[in-house]
Amino acid sequence: MTSALIGASAAAGPASPEGRRPRRVRRTTPHNTLTRGAGLGLGVAMIWFSLLVLIPLTAVIAAAGQGGWSGYFDVLRNDQTWAAVTLTVSQALVVTLVNIVIGSIIAWVLVRDDFWGKRLLDVIIDVPFALPTIVAGLVLLSLYGPNSPLGLHWAFTPNAVTLALAFVTLPFIVRTVQPVLEELEADVEEAAASLGASRATIVRRIILPSLAPAIAAGAALSFARAISEYGSLVLLSGNRPFQTEVVSVRVLTFIENGNNQSAAALASIMLAVALVVIVALDVVQRRVARRG
Amino acid sequence: MSIDVSGVTKKFGDFVALDDVSVSLPTGQLTALLGPSGGGKSTLLRIIAGLDRADTGTVSIEGTDATRLPAQKRNVGFVFQHYAVFKHMTVAKNVAFGLEIRKRPKAEIEHRVDELLKLVHLSQFSHRLPSQLSGGQRQRMALARALAVEPKVLLLDEPFGALDAKVRKELRDWLRRLHDEVHVTTVFVTHDQEEALEVADEIVVINEGRVEQIGSPDQLYDEPANDFVMGFLGEVTQLGDIRLRPHDIEVSATPGSAGALSGRITRLLRVGFEVRLTVSTAGGEVTVVLTRTHARQLGLVEGSHVWLTAASGATTVPAMVAV
Repeated sequence: MTSALIGASAAAGPASPEGRRPRRVRRTTPHNTLTRGAGLGLGVAMIWFSLLVLIPLTAVIAAAGQGGWSGYFDVLRNDQTWAAVTLTVSQALVVTLVNIVIGSIIAWVLVRDDFWGKRLLDVIIDVPFALPTIVAGLVLLSLYGPNSPLGLHWAFTPNAVTLALAFVTLPFIVRTVQPVLEELEADVEEAAASLGASRATIVRRIILPSLAPAIAAGAALSFARAISEYGSLVLLSGNRPFQTEVVSVRVLTFIENGNNQSAAALASIMLAVALVVIVALDVVQRRVARRG
Repeated sequence: MSIDVSGVTKKFGDFVALDDVSVSLPTGQLTALLGPSGGGKSTLLRIIAGLDRADTGTVSIEGTDATRLPAQKRNVGFVFQHYAVFKHMTVAKNVAFGLEIRKRPKAEIEHRVDELLKLVHLSQFSHRLPSQLSGGQRQRMALARALAVEPKVLLLDEPFGALDAKVRKELRDWLRRLHDEVHVTTVFVTHDQEEALEVADEIVVINEGRVEQIGSPDQLYDEPANDFVMGFLGEVTQLGDIRLRPHDIEVSATPGSAGALSGRITRLLRVGFEVRLTVSTAGGEVTVVLTRTHARQLGLVEGSHVWLTAASGATTVPAMVAV
């Protein structure tokens, strides 16, 4: 799943040559160039995608739209909902930023350094992703809960939300950056060094631009996962309104109270947020990849 | 002397890549490090560049001891076999990299990049990305990038190794002409003896971590120090108790001269203008090369009886036992 995402964003990543050279005339293709096999493949992909994603998504947006714009405003005007939205989005952003730094460092260590237990660490990285999320909550509760051996009583505080989100999103950037880092050729860095570039300059101007598409792809996954997290928060955060209640819990409450329209409105707002952040990440990624 | 390497030893685990190597490379010349793959020549080049560290020994560049200097401070240009391009930068940005790091004024950088791109015939590609260039063009860009910082020495590690035969030959001629223009002390690694003989002023033959011989292409070809150098610089065959080049054997259809070795042609192969004979003699098989015309004059066919002698003035070395 992750590799497919990298592939897509890497293909879109580098500045497209056509875009840079306005004089080149783009040949238009009026005819359908798909072969029968390719047409069949595209058809299957589109049907599957529509059944699973497009149609249900449209249904949600349509349901939310029934109340008109006022439906959206009413939902957001509710203080408790607004608190949930700001908490979720801000925590997701914080966690994504942390992941960008820590995830890249972990990927770096796993690829570039040799140490005892490296293979084991490489396997364990996926555990937060593989664990059922409720178990993830349980695991964190044992260390940061009321009986914390560290004396960190973070359960049922906003810290718990950060912790749970960081836990479940940890593997994303590691797993997207790792293969790209492995593919980086050592001689490119050596070339930069022989031209006089310091280690810091090499990282900033040679390595980071190459990793940017992978980091952005991982960050998008990490953010998307963070704003939708539910399971691991149930145990750890306590779902206290105005403090630790996140959007997914709020949506569930709406549905349980039979207020499907508000649930759909809130869901489509979160969809918009996710889109904005993913597009923003892509823009930043292109900037960084082109710099250097 | 521009580069002085003395007593350099380098081991990778149990493998001895360089065994107490000392060479002095003169200023302004084009020197080839020639030898078989895995012989240590690339390691020597990397140690000169500071990309690898010698276990023992010293390296000095233009009189300053560089043994402990990091690659960044040595001011050498290095060109890699697989180009090592900065993929996300345009051709012009690639070439400008070294200058930008040195914080030169913008106008000066632009001017210098223009100049270098002209030198390597890539002016019209300055805004392209490396992925839009052919292999030969990428390598020329890498060369311009290395030259941009005005290095004291230019080091090339199998620079044409990844290119196809035709481009390789073109670039080889071009490198020679470029060197005659810019006169920077240049060292390049190759395993292709033709490349070394054609391009270099001086050749250092390296094998199994040791220097076998240092000399001009003529010296090496005419006066090989040993059997290895002789064999590495061209084809060798054994006639009686000497080893010599197949084209240095005279063939006669009659038992004329004294000491001629008689034999029978077991195989006759025509390749373009030359004819290759495999002659079976009492002392084993001998390979002989002669021109097509000459073979026709002698009326040679498979199964003919011939007498072989070493041509006068032929380069020979005594045959080693059990070769």
